[in-house]
Amino acid sequence: MSFVSVNIDQGSETPVKLTRRALAKQRTRERVLAAARRLFSERGYEGATIRDIAQAAGMSTGAVFASFADKSELFEEILTADYEVIYAQMTQAARTAKTVDEALLGLFGVAYSFHLEQLPLLRASIAESWTRSEAAERRARNDLKHIFKLIGVTLQRAIDEGQLKKDIDAKLLAEITWDVYVANYRRAVYDGWSVEALLARLSDQLKVIFAGARA
Amino acid sequence: MGVRDEQKAATREKVLDAARDLFNDVGYEETTIRAIAERAGVSVGSVFTTFASKAEVLSHVMTHRLDELYAEFDRVIPFLRGSTADRLCSIFAIHYAFETRRVKLFLAHIAASYNPNNEAGVTPYGRNPRLSQMLIDVLEDGVRKGEVRSDLDLGLLVDTLKAAYAWNYRMAAAKGGDLAATEMSAVMDRQIALIAEGWKPR
Repeated sequence: MSFVSVNIDQGSETPVKLTRRALAKQRTRERVLAAARRLFSERGYEGATIRDIAQAAGMSTGAVFASFADKSELFEEILTADYEVIYAQMTQAARTAKTVDEALLGLFGVAYSFHLEQLPLLRASIAESWTRSEAAERRARNDLKHIFKLIGVTLQRAIDEGQLKKDIDAKLLAEITWDVYVANYRRAVYDGWSVEALLARLSDQLKVIFAGARA
Repeated sequence: MGVRDEQKAATREKVLDAARDLFNDVGYEETTIRAIAERAGVSVGSVFTTFASKAEVLSHVMTHRLDELYAEFDRVIPFLRGSTADRLCSIFAIHYAFETRRVKLFLAHIAASYNPNNEAGVTPYGRNPRLSQMLIDVLEDGVRKGEVRSDLDLGLLVDTLKAAYAWNYRMAAAKGGDLAATEMSAVMDRQIALIAEGWKPR
């Protein structure tokens, strides 16, 4: 899957009313985001400083701070853009599936394919997620909310269709499913697993997790 | 052990203790090798003759800590009672209680395992064979007692339990480390109960 940045898309969708000044500002943002994406991938979150990013984008540190309050906001904006790109595809994959397993494997398959293409950035984002500030945590949660909701809707549909028992704890099931999905990235990081291998593992894990929940 | 070796071991011990405290109190990224040397009362050079990098210091701090934890377990394991699920709950509860004593240190350890350029001398978080073995032992015992179906892939069960265990620390991370161990083990208990529902013989 090729990577399309939402930050860049927004540029073409914006009405022509933009002043020259606003356009210049937007171009600056895009340049910063592109440089930041590259450096976070190469050096990790802690390893890339605002000064490095400014230099790579060919501007002053001050110019970067004019667009972003701090490094964590800059990083979060990159991740949010990525989530927006894959969310629609994940929703589509879940909707067209026939069973709950197919739906979950479909939606997580979209995410695995996307993130494996840019594994270094994913590593940086997971690393950062363990030690970030409360403000950054709140922003990230907001991004994930849609995806959790999507898993919730998928499970509810399976209950309604009689695939899963009526009295299951859907929230808990969704959480464990998420846990194993994320934890599996370690296999990609340390053992070089492919998307197919990750999905095969996830499929087995879903059998374990849902064994007691099936109707 | 010669005098020289003894000195070396003492330096190592001092460095690991200093690093453990600084990583937990100040933060891993914020702590420099110089600060560790200062606190340990040794020269910066002698830190570097023992460890190749800060990442390696963290890795050794964590291995050192795990030795303490598993010494505790050796005493506790024979006294664990109850069903397979109950015993697993106890094992994880003990882990949560132990790691929340220095939760920021532990979160830094997880974070570091995802950082790029992991070096050779570093054992990343998640490579803890003792925890896996402990869980396998309990599950095998469960199979023998007829509490756990015999046709299951126990390695897969362990994997799933460990994923849930590790990701529950996200709750602590979200609160900046300010979370009681019991809040995490309460969630883990429910997760174990849910998985146990699926491993029952039918």
